[in-house]
Amino acid sequence: MSIAFANRPENNDTLVMTWGWERWPVYPFSAIVGQDQMKKALLLNAVCPSIGGLLIRGDKGTAKSTAVRALASLLPEIEVVDDCPFGCNPRGPLCLLCRERVQKGHKLLVTRRKIRVVDLPLGATEDRVTGTIDLEQAVKEGTKALQPGLLASAHRGILYIDEVNLLHDHIVDIILDASAMGVNIVEREGISLSHPSEFILVGTMNPEEGELRPQLLDRFGLCVEMGTPWQVEPRLQVLKRREQFDENPWSFLEACGPQQEDLAKTIIEARKRILQISVSEEMIRLCSQLSQEAFVAGHRADITMRKTARAIAALGGRVDVREEDVHEAAELVLLHRMRKPPPPPPPPEHQHEHDHIHDHEDEPEKDHSEQDEPQGSPPPSSEKGTSEQDEAEQPDRDEKDSQDNRSSIRPGIEMVFPVGSPFQVRNLPMKTDRLLRKGSGRRTRSRTMLKTGRYVRSRQDENSTDLALDATLRAAAPYQTRRKKVGVAVAIEKSDLRKKVREKRIGNLIVFVVDASGSMGAGKRMIETKGAVLSLLLDAYQKRDKVAMVAFRGKDADVLLPPTNSVELTYKLLEELPTGGRTPLAHGLALGYQIVDSQLRKDPYTYPILVLISDGKGNVSLSGGKALPEAVELAKNIGEDGRISTVVIDVEKPGLISFGLAHAIASSLGGLYFKIEDLKAETLVDVLKQEVLI
Amino acid sequence: MKAEQTTFPFSAIVGQDKMKKALLLNIINPKLGGVLVRGEKGTAKSTAVRAMANLLPEIEVVADCPCGCDAYRTMQLCPMCSKIVAQGGELTTTCRKIRVVDLPVGSTEDRVLGTLDLEKAIKEGEKHFEPGILAEAHRGILYVDEVNLLDDHIVDVLLDAAAMGVNAVEREGISFTHPAEFVLVGTMNPEEGELRPQLLDRFGLCVQIEGLSDLDQRVEVVKRRAAFEENPEGFFEQWRPEEEKLSKQIVAAKELLPRVTASDDILKLIAEIAIDMQVDGHRADIVMMKAAKALAAFDGRSEVVREDILEASEMGLPHRMRKKPFQKIGVETEKLKRIVAG
Repeated sequence: MSIAFANRPENNDTLVMTWGWERWPVYPFSAIVGQDQMKKALLLNAVCPSIGGLLIRGDKGTAKSTAVRALASLLPEIEVVDDCPFGCNPRGPLCLLCRERVQKGHKLLVTRRKIRVVDLPLGATEDRVTGTIDLEQAVKEGTKALQPGLLASAHRGILYIDEVNLLHDHIVDIILDASAMGVNIVEREGISLSHPSEFILVGTMNPEEGELRPQLLDRFGLCVEMGTPWQVEPRLQVLKRREQFDENPWSFLEACGPQQEDLAKTIIEARKRILQISVSEEMIRLCSQLSQEAFVAGHRADITMRKTARAIAALGGRVDVREEDVHEAAELVLLHRMRKPPPPPPPPEHQHEHDHIHDHEDEPEKDHSEQDEPQGSPPPSSEKGTSEQDEAEQPDRDEKDSQDNRSSIRPGIEMVFPVGSPFQVRNLPMKTDRLLRKGSGRRTRSRTMLKTGRYVRSRQDENSTDLALDATLRAAAPYQTRRKKVGVAVAIEKSDLRKKVREKRIGNLIVFVVDASGSMGAGKRMIETKGAVLSLLLDAYQKRDKVAMVAFRGKDADVLLPPTNSVELTYKLLEELPTGGRTPLAHGLALGYQIVDSQLRKDPYTYPILVLISDGKGNVSLSGGKALPEAVELAKNIGEDGRISTVVIDVEKPGLISFGLAHAIASSLGGLYFKIEDLKAETLVDVLKQEVLI
Repeated sequence: MKAEQTTFPFSAIVGQDKMKKALLLNIINPKLGGVLVRGEKGTAKSTAVRAMANLLPEIEVVADCPCGCDAYRTMQLCPMCSKIVAQGGELTTTCRKIRVVDLPVGSTEDRVLGTLDLEKAIKEGEKHFEPGILAEAHRGILYVDEVNLLDDHIVDVLLDAAAMGVNAVEREGISFTHPAEFVLVGTMNPEEGELRPQLLDRFGLCVQIEGLSDLDQRVEVVKRRAAFEENPEGFFEQWRPEEEKLSKQIVAAKELLPRVTASDDILKLIAEIAIDMQVDGHRADIVMMKAAKALAAFDGRSEVVREDILEASEMGLPHRMRKKPFQKIGVETEKLKRIVAG
């Protein structure tokens, strides 16, 4: 290839010449200011690939991607079998093609090339990841051959996924599969083949965009968290270097040449040295001990830690592993694996007095050993002192109120409480179905029937208008030498037609039904409630949900906000929401249901969730009858409508007496029930545990 | 090429100086990273972006290249052009205006990224890449109206391309990479939902605009619009001197830009502002500096002064300030002024 390089100095041969971003001037690794831990973690992976990759979590704009791209030019060369599409190691394991050649008595030609960094873009489809039939060859020669995919190119290299938490689940599955076995199995379009695919997985993510799927998280050997420096000096330096680079990238690269070479040399030396390093028994014990102290699951942490400590020593120019190496390794290995100590067996908590209507068949909570108690039985002894007296009294008054339906709670007083501090909301398990939906969002995955979702794979379908051209051609390809062709190069028959299977996450419609009655003003209940709603709103925001809000207080309920995408507006209203008056619970539920119902009528593919936030002490009825039974009856009716998921968040304070009224409503609704404090998400790892169990 | 329709002249837009300035800065330095215009309906957002087209300078492109490659940057040619060069061919070039490419809200992923060429595949049994909107937008301006209503997965791929300056297509059996350096201009109405912080951060500048409150100005808007609708060509002729003056100023600024310098004190000020205002990441710092330099160049100065920083930070910070969602987007101008004043 002889290209005249018009504006490029001749001495940049170190840059890889394949097409892609490598051809752009890449900001050099050695010129990245600070972020030492991330740089080290990347180098460690270059020294010892079996560490198993790196996940970089961090704020936007902290040189995450820059560093990974910059690493490519530092990577050493490896020996590969010449013109093997998978880049086999001549010392094995060999792919089918290479094995065939050896069996036929051919000698494998060996060449050297740099370790590759293969980019997996977010829009990648399945066929490009795993590889697929080579269309041109199939049409022209009638032979079935594999066109290798990204997993083939990434073999013995680095598979880099930017924004890995946004990657499509389906693609994630394929990658997990391949990385677990080190083999990519292609079974599609008449091709049946497997080839080695061992790669280092490097991903970057911004936790603001949502967390990573736990199984994938565990695949990353190391994990670093990056932040922004808050001193003037490093920021100044970043600014200056970036400007220099932008002004004239080639001369900047040239100036960094010696440092880059030094670094590359260090890596090569460390790769040789690491073979001589043995880890003493004592240090291995330390690894296991640290892992144990962090309550990690499984043994991957211990193993990775040992390897990492070894690589740290090698990179440091030593041949012995010291204690500080292990500690340094532990930081990188344990960050995403650490768990909280297992909780002591929960003491029998506060027992609820339940309404007699309450039935326990769909008890959603496991950790609460709630029992039905005959009404009026003495409350369980509470260790709480007199400071709780105030709050204990309050429900008492409410209780009286709900029974004789008299307004006694500070009827005229209206207060506006501040919004409590938000927290991470746990995953709410939702029903899934096979209904095709339209819409957009991130909460619930659904098959989509519009032509708008992400094209993930294809399926045989003769009558679809959403033709998957590539798949159709591939299906037709093997038969081309035998088919009659008139005026076209590819003859397509009906049986070849493939349609696109598209998938997208759709958002839900979340209708908040918020209790703003006087009883909510007791203690700090309303502050907490607002905090909880805010947290759910934050969650809704991340997941692109539509929200609507109904509040009830005084005589009746009000639709504060019809369904909208603007979570911000909801927040504003929440902030201003006053508290005071009686509790028209039934009306609140009825209005909430009305919103859901009309939305379903407008768009039958909505996925509605009704969230009731209340202590359940309804005392104003719609029809003039008894308030509470009416609310329960209404809840039952809503529960029978199978299209709606419901969640009840009980804000009743666990005081001397609890009524469990909200719980009764929840079971009538047939929905999920959470106490406000149970809504908080556990740590990352707890979620992992949960999902593994399921 | 589409027939040229007369657009409303840029210089005839009443008020909205901040938005106009932000757009101009992006013409002066395309590496600024685009503008996000936030505001109510009917505040000349789209008009201004479309009017920009008149002011854009011409560029030399490879003829018939769907990406509009720069023939002199041989490293960054698209695969089609690379192939011609590799086979010993010559690239013929032609001059055309920088394009403003629309990305409609209903776009599908294959149209944005590019897809398999249907005709070639069936007629010749060969796989060819049919470039999409991102290819068209290379070296130009990509305009997304109502960017907050765009489908999420489109936003993701858009971000990816905007960040790298490269569009990597790995789909439908095609593996294809082409350069996609574009200035991303988006408009949105915050009432219809907010953008994710990640996407916000990728816009270099952000301006908040409101309807004009001055009665005289409002009347002027109506008058000019009426005059334009009555006789677009005539109206444009009337404003041509202004437009030409502005174009010249832009060209001069573009020439001056590489020579604009910022002293260490100025750089330090930028870092201090970023720290005081609690901005995550370094993108804000870099954008502030670039914007300040472009401002100085637009003013005909070769040295960045403190006022430039103030103006730049007002455009570079508002969308990066929010630590938590729900916090109002905006920047405390008073605080900024205090910092700049020292």
